[in-house]
Amino acid sequence: MNATTSPVNQYFKALQLDETDSSLSQEILENCGVDIERCLECGKCSGGCSNTHIFDFTPRKIVQMIKIGDEKRLLHMDSLWCCVACHLCVDRCPSGIDIPRIMDYLREKAITKGIPATRPTVELFHNLMLDQVHKKGRVSELYLILNYNLKSRQYLKNAELGPQMFFKGKLNPIPARVKKMDQVRRLFRPKPGQKGEAR
Amino acid sequence: MGVHKEQLTLVIGGGAAGIEAARVLGQAGYPVVLVEKSNRLGGVLNQLASSFPRWEDPAQFVEPRVKDFEKCEKVRILLESTVSGCQKVKNGYQVKIDNKGVAEELQVGAVIIATGFELMDLSGYGEYGHGSFANVFNSLEFEAVLKQWAAGNKPEKPPVVAFFKCVGSRDRSKGYPYCSKICCMYTAKQAGLVKDLFPDGRSYVFYMDYRASGKEYEEFVRSVIEDKHVRYVRGRPAKVLPENGRLLIRCEDTLMGVPVEVRADYIVLAAAIRPSQGTAEMAQMFGLKTDAYGFIEPEPFEAVKVQERVFLAGSCGFAVETLGALQQGAAAAAQAIAVLHQAD
Repeated sequence: MNATTSPVNQYFKALQLDETDSSLSQEILENCGVDIERCLECGKCSGGCSNTHIFDFTPRKIVQMIKIGDEKRLLHMDSLWCCVACHLCVDRCPSGIDIPRIMDYLREKAITKGIPATRPTVELFHNLMLDQVHKKGRVSELYLILNYNLKSRQYLKNAELGPQMFFKGKLNPIPARVKKMDQVRRLFRPKPGQKGEAR
Repeated sequence: MGVHKEQLTLVIGGGAAGIEAARVLGQAGYPVVLVEKSNRLGGVLNQLASSFPRWEDPAQFVEPRVKDFEKCEKVRILLESTVSGCQKVKNGYQVKIDNKGVAEELQVGAVIIATGFELMDLSGYGEYGHGSFANVFNSLEFEAVLKQWAAGNKPEKPPVVAFFKCVGSRDRSKGYPYCSKICCMYTAKQAGLVKDLFPDGRSYVFYMDYRASGKEYEEFVRSVIEDKHVRYVRGRPAKVLPENGRLLIRCEDTLMGVPVEVRADYIVLAAAIRPSQGTAEMAQMFGLKTDAYGFIEPEPFEAVKVQERVFLAGSCGFAVETLGALQQGAAAAAQAIAVLHQAD
């Protein structure tokens, strides 16, 4: 879905400020430890963001939407699935607002609420990567790429990069494994009150 | 060089700046006549519910200074009095004072003008409804409301209060092109006070930017936003409409580019600051140089000196916060002392 046709990007009616509340910012403060009221609205996050060219909402706007409690648009937006968590935004933010942490939280929330990812292959990638961490404690690039291309049916995607990466030692056919797997498994243990393993 | 310690200094205006000027002169041993139009000292400070950036009680301002006046026995305070005429003489001015209807003539060696500001008349802003809707106030009127609330005379339901900044300031069509300088700070103060009085109430501040360039000012505004949870919405409101006994505000959230509507119980307009009537009168009487808006203009590279033996202090020169008024009052007093010593 592209940004201009996405329904979440269209504002026709006036936003009713009195109907919004601060519960979402409160929720983010409690769950992520991020106080979005510290935002100075300077836009340094968006200026530095490595992915704004494909975002429908820039990081600054995302923080602003949390402020106005626009949860619906936040959970449906495309940016949620384009953010690669490069941390440039938080690195540049003069108020130290951890936007990737917020994005993680919102993605979790979207998934829990059954809201489909705007980019299904991104969700697939997330799941495959976490599967690997779950099994081996580490990510094996080779098997991750193969698996991803197979399951997303883009069999030859980026295939031309394969040999190059192989000769640079980036693709090890023997997957590494963490010795103390029990400690990795502990990371996946559900929190109290949470159903199923955390992913 | 003769020392003229017996020469009088005339301070016109008994607000923060005038009081401070009179106090410094009096404590230094120079006789002062302080002329105040109203029936009490303190000026605008008497109307305020609190102060920035330290939440001090403005009521605590006047009393210790009046004690200083009594102690030094050099300051003659004339309430309900005005300066009705002046004539330039050698080493000073011959001034006529209307002291509660009784005319008096004084010879003074220096004059300190501290005649203050007034808020712009907002009747030109029909879109905000000041004067037609009951609960639309200008910022000084709202200080009185805040005082009432603080005294326990509160509305039952926690109110929603919306603050509009730059009403008449930074407005080249109906107002003044300049920034009135202090509105950002007192608006933050008022919005914070509302949240203190009504933790379940809401304060919205509609702003284009906030200008907090002073010691502890930025921290003050941030604490109002972050600790008191006042909501700052970026955009200049376009319209206020009555809706079921409340006030509907329309504006754009310019950060999101979305139209915004919000209903409020009270609206406070941070009206532009302009020279007071008294400032205009004194400028004319003493033949002082003023800028295009009527603010008294000091000489080049002078802080408070307007012309020979005439000094300004406080917001008759330009909008200034209490601390700035005190600084200018003290500076004007020091310069007056200097000029009294230069008399031959």
